[in-house]
Amino acid sequence: MNILVINAGSSSLKYQLYDMSTETVLAKGRVERIGMETSILTHEVEGLPEVKEVSEILDHTTAIRKVLDMLTHRKVGVLRNITDIKAVGHRVVHGGESFSESVLINTEVKLEIRKLFDLAPLHNPAHMMGIAAVEANLPEVPQTVVFDTAFHQSMPKMTYMYAIPTVLYRKHKIRKYGFHGTSHDYVSKRAAEYLGRPLNELKLISCHIGNGASCTAIMYGKSFDTSMGMTPLEGLMMGTRSGDLDPAVVPFTMNKEDLTLNEVNSMLNKHSGLIAISGISSDMREVVDAMNEGNLNAKLAFDMYAYRIRKYIGAYAAAMNGLDAIIFTAGVGENSDVLRRAVCEQLTFFGVQLDEERNAVRSPEPRRITTDDSRVAALVVPTNEELLIARDTYRIVKPILDRKG
Amino acid sequence: MFRVIGVVGAGTMGQSIAEMLAVKGMDVHLVEKTPEKLQHAVDMLEASLDRQMERWAITAAEKKLTLNRIHMETSLYHLASCDLVIETISEDMDSKKAVLQQLDGILSKEAIIASNTSTLSLTELAGASQYPERVIGMHFVYPTNRIDVVEIIRGLQTSDDTFDRTKTFVEEALSKTGVMVYESPGFVTTRLVCLLINESLHVLEEGVASPEDIDSAMRLGYQFEHGPLEMADRFGLDAVLAALERMFREFGELKYRPSFLLKKKVRAGQLGVKTGIGFFKYDKDGERL
Repeated sequence: MNILVINAGSSSLKYQLYDMSTETVLAKGRVERIGMETSILTHEVEGLPEVKEVSEILDHTTAIRKVLDMLTHRKVGVLRNITDIKAVGHRVVHGGESFSESVLINTEVKLEIRKLFDLAPLHNPAHMMGIAAVEANLPEVPQTVVFDTAFHQSMPKMTYMYAIPTVLYRKHKIRKYGFHGTSHDYVSKRAAEYLGRPLNELKLISCHIGNGASCTAIMYGKSFDTSMGMTPLEGLMMGTRSGDLDPAVVPFTMNKEDLTLNEVNSMLNKHSGLIAISGISSDMREVVDAMNEGNLNAKLAFDMYAYRIRKYIGAYAAAMNGLDAIIFTAGVGENSDVLRRAVCEQLTFFGVQLDEERNAVRSPEPRRITTDDSRVAALVVPTNEELLIARDTYRIVKPILDRKG
Repeated sequence: MFRVIGVVGAGTMGQSIAEMLAVKGMDVHLVEKTPEKLQHAVDMLEASLDRQMERWAITAAEKKLTLNRIHMETSLYHLASCDLVIETISEDMDSKKAVLQQLDGILSKEAIIASNTSTLSLTELAGASQYPERVIGMHFVYPTNRIDVVEIIRGLQTSDDTFDRTKTFVEEALSKTGVMVYESPGFVTTRLVCLLINESLHVLEEGVASPEDIDSAMRLGYQFEHGPLEMADRFGLDAVLAALERMFREFGELKYRPSFLLKKKVRAGQLGVKTGIGFFKYDKDGERL
C-alpha cells in the first residue's frame, strides 16, 4: 500500500511517498515559494538525478496537483496511476487538548483543528491548507492527521500547568503541551525493544536534539513531563531559540530596546540560542568545528547547550524518582558524538558510564553507547518522523480499506 | 488577491510601502524616474532592513529574500503585470494626473490604482483616468511596517467592487485595519494630527512651555509614542506645512492657517529628522539626540 506523507507550511510543502509493504521511500520532495510566480518543485527518486521545476504555483491545491503530476510522470514518476495512492498522512503541529492520538480526518476533526489556530497561528492554518488541497485533488482518498502534541497529553496536571492565574488556562488554554511527540513516542518504544524489557516498567528520558530540541520524561511508556511548553520555545537551548529564561527578561527588554511584540518574538525564536552565543552558526557541526579551532564564543555556546541538556536529565531523573535509560535522537542527537560525550561524562554520579568506542560508532540502527555494567544505559535511537506518520496512517486506514475490499 | 504590486515614487513613503509589502511576501515593482533616485532608494531600503536586523525583527536570510522581491524600474511600462499600483509621488495634482493617464494604457482593466495622497481631491484625480471607478485612495501612515491602519478613500466614482477588493487586501493580506473615509482634505489622520501640531506651535510661540515640556506633557499625558513636535519632525516640517496650507485653502478656516514658526523653520531648511534638525536634533539613523 502506498501512503503519501505531507508536511505543509504557509508557503512550502514537503512530501514523501512510502510503499508500506517494505516501508521504503519511493520518492520525496518539496515545493517552495507557494504563492509566487517562481515557485520551485524539487523531486527526488532514489537512483535518479534530482528534478527541479520552476513554475507559477499560487496555492496549495495547485502545489499538490503538481506533486501528483510529478509522482505519475512518465520519466521521473514512480506511480502508474494516481489511484495507487491509498492514503495521505499529514503532520499537524498543535492538537491542543483535543487530540491524544492520530486520527482519520472528518468534518469534526477539521473543525477542531481550526479551533486550535490561536495556539499555533504559524502552523495549523498552513496544515489546514494542505489538508484542503489534498481533498480537492484526491477526494476519495482517506486522510489522517498526526499531531506533535498528542503523545504528551498523558502528562499529569501537576506537570502541565503554569503557576500563573488559572483564568488564563480556562480562557486561553495556556499550559504546557510539548512537541516532537511522535518522535519521543517512537524512540521510547524502540529503546524498550532494544533493552529487551517491557516499556511499562521503564523510566526513560528521551532527548530529541535537532534544529529544535526537547527532552521528555517517559515513565512506564507515558509522557510524564517534557521541556517544550505552550510553544516550542521553552526548555533546552536550540539552534536559534533561547529555551528557558526568566520571563521578566521579556518585558524588560521590550522596554529597554523599545521592541514590538513581533520583534521580541523574532529575537527569541530566530536570533537566540547557538547563533546568538557563538556568533557563528545555528548548526551544531559548525559550532563544534569553530570550538575545535579555539573559538571561545563557540565553546561557550556548546557548553551552555550541553549543560542545559544535563540539567533537564537530572531534573527528570528526580521527577520520575529513577532512571533506566537516556535516549539520544534526531540530527544532532544521532550524529554528534562530541555532544553526547559532553552530556554523559558529567552524569557519572547517577551511574552513566560512557563507552568511548561505542559512542564513536555511526549507524542507522539503535545502539548502546554506555558500558555493559553502566547502571543507567545511554542509547542512540534514530528517529524518522515521516515514517512514523506513514505508519500511523497505515494503522488507521488499513482496516477501513480492508472492509471496503 | 493582489500578488504583484507596483509602487510609483520611491521617496520616503514609497520605500516604506515597498518594504512593508515585500516583507509580507508580495512581489513589488518600485518605479522612480532616474537611476540615481532608484539607487538612493535601494541604499535606503538596505539601511532600513539592516536596522530591523539589529532589532532582531528579521534574519539575514529574510533581508535577502525581501530585497529580492523588490524590483527596481525606471519606467511605468514595467507595471503591466501588476494587479494593484500604489501611486505615492509628491503631492502635486498635475504630476499625479499624468501618472494615472499613463497607467491607463499599461494596466489591465481589472487592476486597481490607489493613490497615497493625504490632501488632494481623489475625485479630481480619478477624473484623469478613463476608468475612474477603479481609482481609490489608500493612505498609509509612516512608518508603514509599524502602523496598522490604512485610510481607504472613496472618490465620487469609486466602484463598490474596487472598494471591497481594496479593503479585503488591506485587512487580509496586510493584516491592517482599513478605515473607510470619504473624500475630504486630510481625511481623519492628517487633519487631526496637523491641527494638533499647529496648535502645539502656537503654544510654543506664546511661550507657554518649552518644546521638551510640550512633548513630554502629551506623550505621557495621553500616551502618544512621540509628542506633537517630534511627530512633526518625523513627518517632515515641509510636509506638515504643505498639508496645513492645502487644508487652509480648501476649508478656508483660520484654524488651519500654518503657524509662522513652522514657515520660518521650513524657510531655514530645518525640516526635521531628514535634515538632522527640526524642533529637536537627530542622528543619521533618525534617533533623537
